[in-house]
Amino acid sequence: MNNKNITIRDYLYEAPGPKTKRYITIGTVLSLICVAWLIYVIIRLFYENGQLDAKYWSIFTRATTWRFFGKGLLGTLEVSLAAMLVTFSLGMIMMIGRINRNKVISTIATVFIELSRGIPTLLFIYFFFLAVPQFGLKLPAFWKITLPVAISAAGVTAETLRSGVNAVPKGQREAAISLGMRDHTVFLKIIFPQAFRIVIPGLISELVIVLKDTTFAYVVSYADLMQNARVMISNYDALLSVYLVVAVIYILINYGLNKLSVYLANRRKRLQAG
Amino acid sequence: MSISELLSQFGDKYLLALITTYKLTICSFGLALIIGVIITVMRISPITPLKVVADLYVQIFRNIPGASLLIVLVYALPYLNIVLSYYTCVLTATTLIPSAFCSEYLMSGMNTISPGQIEASRSIGMTFMQTIRNVVLPQAIRSSVLPLTNLMVSTMLTTAIASQVPLNPMELTGIVSYINTHAVGGITAFVISAFLYCGTAVIIGQVGNLIDRKVRILR
Repeated sequence: MNNKNITIRDYLYEAPGPKTKRYITIGTVLSLICVAWLIYVIIRLFYENGQLDAKYWSIFTRATTWRFFGKGLLGTLEVSLAAMLVTFSLGMIMMIGRINRNKVISTIATVFIELSRGIPTLLFIYFFFLAVPQFGLKLPAFWKITLPVAISAAGVTAETLRSGVNAVPKGQREAAISLGMRDHTVFLKIIFPQAFRIVIPGLISELVIVLKDTTFAYVVSYADLMQNARVMISNYDALLSVYLVVAVIYILINYGLNKLSVYLANRRKRLQAG
Repeated sequence: MSISELLSQFGDKYLLALITTYKLTICSFGLALIIGVIITVMRISPITPLKVVADLYVQIFRNIPGASLLIVLVYALPYLNIVLSYYTCVLTATTLIPSAFCSEYLMSGMNTISPGQIEASRSIGMTFMQTIRNVVLPQAIRSSVLPLTNLMVSTMLTTAIASQVPLNPMELTGIVSYINTHAVGGITAFVISAFLYCGTAVIIGQVGNLIDRKVRILR
């Protein structure tokens, strides 16, 4: 298939002439020098402060290190997936409330969506960490991080789901109603299955946000990747290298998820274009 | 504790916290816009090393968790003999992350421009910079109003990570944990901060909608 996604990068320039080619070559060389210099400066900075010493990096050659990271990563993934499930359920409820024809219900749902979208995750986390125990409710650390992260992502998820429902052609609903289906049957059997497929890429992007927010798990001392990194640092006295490696792990996971989301969105577009 | 009691005890601190959050948000957002534009120009330039570096920059900062970035800035950089104040660290973190998203939004704003327009501007003899200035940028900026509004809200929400370092004066999230550990503020302290955050978010959203309606390109 030839309708790959062309971006502005592909058509912004005409084929360069000899003069422009020369400019581009000069620019490439100059910028390469700049980049090389930048890398050199960073490496020198590490070297001069002794951060390239083997003792800081040799821990990453041990299997136990990675097993410990793996355990933390498992904790991160558990929280993320649980939070994603809760988010999805809450988002569904909010979305169904928002598209309800009853003005009162729809207003209430809109208020909840705005609240969830306009309040930082950390405030929710502190709420579950500091305020909820004051009511005598003792939650395990797992839920102290999962619930706030889920609540703070629910509003955006509701809006994502709503955009999916709106993207289903109107005729589908009309056809189903003229066949004699009831309102909720139309939604469950006709609208939602199509809407869900449309919003899968959006939901994956939402998972990235959830995963990022779970890094605050150390606030409630839940053993996720970040928390395990802190334990590791106090054991090995290798702060910089451990935090950098953990950051890279997070970046790679999120990068992969984003790529997957884009791939699914593009595949959908291709399939629709036929 | 009732709202009036709480406000009489911590009222001035709350005002200071609100101002700190606003200041952080506006500074970060402004800087993020500037850096975002520079990064975007690098990404669409024909010079490969610049493209690669800018793409890498965007991928790093749109995928790194805010907590992770802040921790690296605050606790890891001193090992490289770079000691920044807490405020600078927070400002850097809340600038770098939105700047990457800003560039992403500008890129997708530019991708809405059809190739025909670029070809047309070329065929009437516009230079490259003229095409960028008169055709690409106006449309890209206009169709980026709504994403940028959301970016401003999410920048504000990102500034909550400042509560993870001892910032003085505190911002809206930090003050809540401060009140809850120093007094029995209970749920009221949360409600006030939540209301201030959410109110600001709604106002930003409304202003963004207003601007968008004014400048939107009807296609």
